[in-house]
Amino acid sequence: MRTSFPRISVILVTALVVLAPLGLVFYQSFLDNPFFAPKIQFTLSAYEYVLTDEDFHSAFLNSLMIATGMTAIAVPLGGILAFLVVRTDLPGRRWLEPLLLLPVFLSPVVLAFGYVVAAGPVGFLSLPAEAWFGFVPWDIYSITGLVLVAGLTHVPHVYLYASSALRGVSSDLEEAARVGGAGPWRVAIDVSLPMVMPALLYAGVLVFFLGFELFGLPLVLGDPQGILVMSTYLYKLTNLLGTPSYQLMAVVVVALVFVTFPLVVLQRTLLRQAGKYVTMKGKGARQTPLKLGGWKWLALGLLALWLVATVVIPLAGIGLRSVVSSWGRGVTLADQLTLAHYRDLWEYPNLIRGILNTLGIGVIGGALSVACYTAVALAAHRWPSRWVRLLDFLVLVPRAMPGLVAGLAILWIFLFVPGLGYLKSTMISVWIAYSVVWLAYGMRLISSALLQVAPELEEGARVVGAGPHRVNLDVTIPLIRFGLLGSWLLIFMIFVREYSTGIYLLGPGTEVIGSLLVSLWGTGDIDLISALSVINVAMVGVGLLAALRLGVRLHG
Amino acid sequence: MAELSVENVRLRLGGMEILKGVSMELERGQVVALLGPSGSGKTTLLRAVAGLEQPFAGRISLGGRPVFDAGARIDLPAEKRNLGLVFQSYALWPHRTVFDNVAYGLKLRGVGSGEIRQRVEQVLGQIGLGQHAGRFPHQLSGGQQQRVALARALVYSPPVILLDEPLSNLDAKLREEARAWLRELIVTLHLSALCVTHDQVEAMAIADRILLLNAGQVEQAGTPQEMYGAPKSLFVAEFMGANNRLDGTLAERRDGYAALAVAGKAQDEPLLWGRMQGERAAGGPATGIVRLESVRPADGPGENRLGLELVTSMYLGERWEYLFHRGPLKVRAYGDRELAPGRHWLEFPPDRVWLF
Repeated sequence: MRTSFPRISVILVTALVVLAPLGLVFYQSFLDNPFFAPKIQFTLSAYEYVLTDEDFHSAFLNSLMIATGMTAIAVPLGGILAFLVVRTDLPGRRWLEPLLLLPVFLSPVVLAFGYVVAAGPVGFLSLPAEAWFGFVPWDIYSITGLVLVAGLTHVPHVYLYASSALRGVSSDLEEAARVGGAGPWRVAIDVSLPMVMPALLYAGVLVFFLGFELFGLPLVLGDPQGILVMSTYLYKLTNLLGTPSYQLMAVVVVALVFVTFPLVVLQRTLLRQAGKYVTMKGKGARQTPLKLGGWKWLALGLLALWLVATVVIPLAGIGLRSVVSSWGRGVTLADQLTLAHYRDLWEYPNLIRGILNTLGIGVIGGALSVACYTAVALAAHRWPSRWVRLLDFLVLVPRAMPGLVAGLAILWIFLFVPGLGYLKSTMISVWIAYSVVWLAYGMRLISSALLQVAPELEEGARVVGAGPHRVNLDVTIPLIRFGLLGSWLLIFMIFVREYSTGIYLLGPGTEVIGSLLVSLWGTGDIDLISALSVINVAMVGVGLLAALRLGVRLHG
Repeated sequence: MAELSVENVRLRLGGMEILKGVSMELERGQVVALLGPSGSGKTTLLRAVAGLEQPFAGRISLGGRPVFDAGARIDLPAEKRNLGLVFQSYALWPHRTVFDNVAYGLKLRGVGSGEIRQRVEQVLGQIGLGQHAGRFPHQLSGGQQQRVALARALVYSPPVILLDEPLSNLDAKLREEARAWLRELIVTLHLSALCVTHDQVEAMAIADRILLLNAGQVEQAGTPQEMYGAPKSLFVAEFMGANNRLDGTLAERRDGYAALAVAGKAQDEPLLWGRMQGERAAGGPATGIVRLESVRPADGPGENRLGLELVTSMYLGERWEYLFHRGPLKVRAYGDRELAPGRHWLEFPPDRVWLF
C-alpha cells in the first residue's frame, strides 16, 4: 500500500509501549533476584513459591467466587434495568439513565470508603439499625458483603451493553410476533431476549473479568477480615519479605494475565457476534414503549432501591463523614459538624500536590492521551492490512493488565531503561501508565467516532487532490471534533477517578488523589480520606455535568 | 487519442473476483455509461479508475499516461490522478460551506485566493447556485447538493469526470429534470464523463456509448441505439427496455430468421418467426424476446399472431397497458384504448422478435 510508513511507525511505537512492560514482567518472573541486581540467575523458584503458597490459593479462590457472584447479581439486574429504561414507559426514564451510569465514573475506593463509614460496624446506618434490631443485620466485611457491593456497582456495565442491544431491536420484530399471535410475555421470551442474549453474554464475561481485576473494593472491605484476592495478594507481596520481592510479584502478574487474557480474547469474539442480531442500527429502529400500568411503581421501586444501595448510601456516607469531626457510639451528629477536615488538607503539601496533579492529569494528560489515541486510531483507519490486525491484538494486551500491574510494570521499565530514571518521579511516568492502561477504552471511543465518518467524505477529498495527511487534517479530524471533545471529557473522568495504576508510581511529585487514598487507607486517617474522596467525586461530577450538558454519549 | 482507456482490468474484493478482465475506452467529449445490475462491478470499475480500489491485473491510462499498470507496478494514488468524482451520496463535507467545498480542490492545487474566488463563483453560476455559496450542505435540497457535488468535481477542470449513480438519490420527478440538465451541461461544457447507473433509460439519455456489465465482464458495448435495437445476447435484450419473454422450441431456420413453437402452442396456431441471434440447432429450446411496445393488438388471426385471453387493462394516462394470459404464457402490450374482456389476437412483427 502507498504511504504506509507513518502508519507502520505509529503501530510499532504502540507495540513497544504496550509489550515492553509485560515482556519485562515475564522476564522478571523467571529470575531469582530483581532484574537490576548485579547477580541474577534464571530459575523457576518464584513460581514454586507462589504456586504452593496457601494465601495464593485462597486469594485465587476468593477472586473466582467474587467474580462469579457479582456476575450472577449484575447480569440479571442490569438486564432488567435496561429493559425497564429502554423498552417501557417507566416515568422519568430520561434523567434516570445518567444516574444509572454514575457508578462507572466513581472510584471504587471512594465507594468502598463510603460503604465503610455508612454501613461498617459503626457506620451511620449500622448504629441506628443496631439500636432498632439489637444487632447489625449486615456485615460488609465478609465475602457475601463484598460480592453484593461488587455486584451492585457493576450493574451499569451490564446496563450499557444490554440497553444498546435493546435499542437495536426494532419494534417491528416484536409487533410481527404480536400480530402472529404471541402475547407480550411470549414476545419478550421468544423474540426480545434471544436478540439481546449475545450482548448479555458479552456483559457477563466482562463483569466476570472485572471481578478478577477488582482491587479497591477487596482492599478496603476484605482486608479487615483477612480476605485476600489476586490483586490484594499482589499488593501485600510488596513488603512481604522486607525487601520488595520483584520475582514473586512478577509471578502473580503472570498468573493474573493468564486468567484475564483469555477472557479478553473471549470478549472480543463475543462482541463480534453480538452485532449479528442488530438488524437496524441507531435511529432506524422505531420503538413503541411497553405500557407498564400498575407495575411501574414496582419497577420504579426496584430502580430506586438499587440507586440508594449503590450510589446514595456510599456517597452520602462519605459526604457526611467529611463534615463530621468524629463518629462512633453515643455521638450526636449535630454536635460534630465541621469543615476542619477540608482545612486540614492544606497542611499536607503532598495532598495539595495530589489534587493539582489529578486535575493536571485529567485535563492536560487526558488531552494528550486523546491525541495519542487519535494518532493510533488514524494509523489503522481504513487500512486493510496485517498491521491493523496486529494493532487490534496489541490493544487487548493492556486490557488484560489490571491498573495495579500496569503501574508496576511501567515503574520497572523506568528503573530498567537507563536514562529514563529521572522521569520516574515526574507525572510523565503516571501519564504513560494511565495512557497504556486505558488504551483499549480510548481507542474504542475514537474508533466509534471515526466510524461515523462516511468513507465517501474522505474519498472525495482524495479524488479532489488531497494526500492521506491532508485528508486527515482537512476532513477526518474536523468531522470527528465533537467526538474528540466527548472522548476528552470521558478520559478526564476516567483519569481523575483512577486509583490503582498510580499506586506503585506514588512518590514525591507523582501524587494523585486515587493513589493517595489507597496509601492513606493504610494509615487509617478517615478524616482526610473522606475530605479527599469528596473532592475526587466533585471533580468527576464536574466532568459528568459538562458531558451531559454537551450531550456526550456516556457509552463508548 | 482516448481520454481514458481501461485494458483487461481484474480486481478482487474480499476474495471475490469482482472485475474479470474489463476493457473500455472513453474519447474526448464523450459520455460513457457503465450499466448493469447490482453486483455487476460497475461502481467498482469506476472506483478503480478513480484510484480508490486496486486491481491486481490490467492497465488504466488517462490521456495516454498510465495511472495504473499491474505489470509495471504503477499505481498513482487517487489524489495524483486529477479526476473529478461525483458520489452517489454527494459526499459534501458537512463542516464546510458550499464555497469551501468547491474551492478545496483549487486550494490544494495552490491557486491564488483571488482566482479561487473567481473560478468558484463562475462554476457556481454555471450550476445555478451563485446565491448559495455561503450555505452549508445541510441547508440545501437534495437537487442542490447534487449540483454542488458536480461543481466540486468540475472546478479544477479534470480531463474526465466520474459520476457514480448521480441521479439515484433524487425523487422520480426531479430525476428526469436533472437528467436533462446534466446532459445539457455535459454538452455545453464539452465534458468527458464516465457515468455509473443501473437505470437503462438514464444511461441511454445521458450517454453516447453504453457499456453493459454482467458479473464482472462486458456483456456488450455500443451506442444506445445499438444496445436497445440490436442486443447481441439474451442478457442484453432482457436488461434493456421492458420485454415479453416467450419460451418454446426452435422449429425451423431460414436465412437469419427462425420460427419458434411457443410452449403450449395449439395445433392450428402459426409458428412465431423472429430474427435468430446466435447459434441454436432446430429442435432445441429457445427464448423469444419482444419489447412491449412492439406487440400490437390485431383484428384477427394471421401470420405471427397469437390468440390470448385478456386478464386486465391498466390505464397509464398516456396509454393503456394490457395483460394477456394463455396457460403459462404471459404477454404484456400497449394500446390506446380499453379492450373488451375475452380472446384477442396479438401481432409480433418478425423483425422485432429476437430469438436466443
